[in-house]
Amino acid sequence: MKIIASYNIKGGVGKTSTAVNLAFLAASHQHNTLVWDLDPQGASSYYFRVKPKVKGGGKKLISGRRELDGVIKATDFEYLDLLPADFSFRNLDLALDANKKPTQRLKRLLKPLADEYDYVFLDCPPNISLLSEAVFEASEVLLSPIIPTTLSLRTLEQLKKYIKDKQLSHLQLMPFFSMVDNRKKMHKEMMQTVVEKHPEILAASIPYASDIEKMGLERMPLGAFMQKGRSLLAYQSLWTELMEKME
Amino acid sequence: MTEPPLYFELPGSLKGKKFFSKIEKKLLLQITGQHYAIKTFYDTFDWRLYRAGVVAEHIHSKDVSQFNLINRKTGRLLASDSLETAPNFAQQFSSQALKSILLPIMEMRALLQVSHLPLEIYRANILNKDEKTVLRLQLDDYESLSGRIHLLPLRGYGKSLNKVAAVLQSDLSVKPASCSVLPEALQLQGREVKDYSSKFSLKLKPDMRADQAAKLIFKTLLADIKLNEANTITDVDTEFLHDFRVAVRRTRSGLNQIRGALPETAVKKYSEFFAWLGQITSLTRDLDVYLLSYQDYRGVLPIAMQDDLEPLYAFLKEKQIKAQKNLAERLVSAKYQKGLIEWEEFLNKQVSKKAKANQGNLSIKALADQRIWKVYCKLMSEGGVIDDQSPPESLHDLRKTCKKLRYLLEFFQSLYDETEMKTLIKALKGLQTVLGDFQDYEVQENNIKTFSQEMMENHVGGNAILAMGVLIQHLDAKKRDAREHFSDQFAGFANQDIKRIFEKLFFRKKV
Repeated sequence: MKIIASYNIKGGVGKTSTAVNLAFLAASHQHNTLVWDLDPQGASSYYFRVKPKVKGGGKKLISGRRELDGVIKATDFEYLDLLPADFSFRNLDLALDANKKPTQRLKRLLKPLADEYDYVFLDCPPNISLLSEAVFEASEVLLSPIIPTTLSLRTLEQLKKYIKDKQLSHLQLMPFFSMVDNRKKMHKEMMQTVVEKHPEILAASIPYASDIEKMGLERMPLGAFMQKGRSLLAYQSLWTELMEKME
Repeated sequence: MTEPPLYFELPGSLKGKKFFSKIEKKLLLQITGQHYAIKTFYDTFDWRLYRAGVVAEHIHSKDVSQFNLINRKTGRLLASDSLETAPNFAQQFSSQALKSILLPIMEMRALLQVSHLPLEIYRANILNKDEKTVLRLQLDDYESLSGRIHLLPLRGYGKSLNKVAAVLQSDLSVKPASCSVLPEALQLQGREVKDYSSKFSLKLKPDMRADQAAKLIFKTLLADIKLNEANTITDVDTEFLHDFRVAVRRTRSGLNQIRGALPETAVKKYSEFFAWLGQITSLTRDLDVYLLSYQDYRGVLPIAMQDDLEPLYAFLKEKQIKAQKNLAERLVSAKYQKGLIEWEEFLNKQVSKKAKANQGNLSIKALADQRIWKVYCKLMSEGGVIDDQSPPESLHDLRKTCKKLRYLLEFFQSLYDETEMKTLIKALKGLQTVLGDFQDYEVQENNIKTFSQEMMENHVGGNAILAMGVLIQHLDAKKRDAREHFSDQFAGFANQDIKRIFEKLFFRKKV
């Protein structure tokens, strides 16, 4: 079971869309896949039309009094399940803190699912917090969408420093450009500069496109309502590159 | 809480479209697919898959051709593969998942089509108010049977399953059903599952006249001969001939053992006919056995020598093809057909008011008591004098006596207490196994020696002869092993508990 976190310190950069679309692609290759919607806003849950509600809330889940297995919901797509969000997830930091070794908690909770799933995508809320630390401990890959702006570049540097300081050597950071607007000169220039400085940035990038926004109307991953398109191709390239890097 | 049913049967009048128009009034539903298909059920002739709780079905449509193995009780899919046609034997499946389930169950038996059903398959999703799928549904709308619904629950949506199961039962009068329509499909052909078994099974009444009961026994055996005849001729698998021969052997033994119940002339005539049938079928069966044992033969050789045995396989196969051809010709010959028809006519002829044979007027129970007790005593006296120095012939004779007793116990099983009869048959089986092994190893050892001489004359390479030499040594060691186990097995059979049951059931003081 490979655990992949979709994370950025900043919000609104395409984390949920990344988790949802890559998970859909994994499942369409017949890999048993789970998305855990850790964001109390419940955007992933919304895209899969699953109520953002977990019986007993985040506290019971994190303490282990309710097993993950019991709250997982099938999505409309074969091989793809969802662990929905809950409004109480806004207090996951507190729930984690109430346990011993809080940063190891998510890893322990996910362990029993190892035989069942090939891929787990963690859709994370923004900010660096106890929860994100626990996510970093649990994950093998940290997929981080970055909008090609100066501010995003700063957050990437912050994230790299954080990983280095915390000595998270098991964690493979894979940043990639997201919401790229090819008409903007600034985006193009930024991308060139940033790649020179951060060669670990993936070659695949996700465009800023209306069909990604359409996911909110359709309430399903891109691949479920369109056969082809720029955005879909972009996620397919991202999936292929992710697979290659993980090997 | 009890789990709701997942399979339902539609009332006969409720066909596909009508069902959906009715259910749409109660539930939010989206039909996701509809296609015409042919469902073909498979099993071995003796229903090995069904007996092991497995249903094999092949679904063939314009776009899909799928072979599925399904748990008969739960409906769970055990293994599946896309296959245009199903192969004949388990080892011919390319899917490892299918092979690993099928091989231990089917062994050497062929997979046969048992029923075809044309149907329309509908797939639908049951949605909640967010238009999220909460349950999947499949309707198999058969042309010649009432439709079947299969609910496919989705993780985390147990409540929806309960709700839909309740709606189906209360609002649409749909009844829970078993997960496979195989029994109903067979009914359409006037058949039923497990309608063949190589085990002898016949219910006799104790006071039935012996000649009448004897004819019933032989009719049952004749039915087995006829059932296996066609596929023996076409050599579908080795076990048709095996079962054919068992029925012939049982008939011969019966003619000999209960001869007093039937007219002497008839016994003489048909004993000769069945002896001939036994003789013309024996070579093919022997060669079948060698070919079936071939992998075991390879296995006893050192790895480096295993491939050296290949010429033996080719030699045996060539012989088997010839023998099978001869056998097939004999089984369509006038002699065979005339013999079998006359036998059937003889069996169908009403018995006269007073039996013509000496023991024909006895009750079958009285005759069974006499015969079983007599053969049991013979077995005990023959076995009791065998020691380590006794010649192999004495063990072979004892094996034959055991077989006679075994057939008698099986013929007359229904006349006695079931548990006690099972105890006796089980005890006898142990003894028969060791005697059978002794005989088989000896025959195989001798025959492989003969084959090696024949092969040498045909200038087959020295390595093959060398490998056969190692095999002969192994068979000889196994034969000696069996010989050593004899006294323990015989002691097990000759014990007081078994003796008491024999006495209780069959010994009658002469008045």
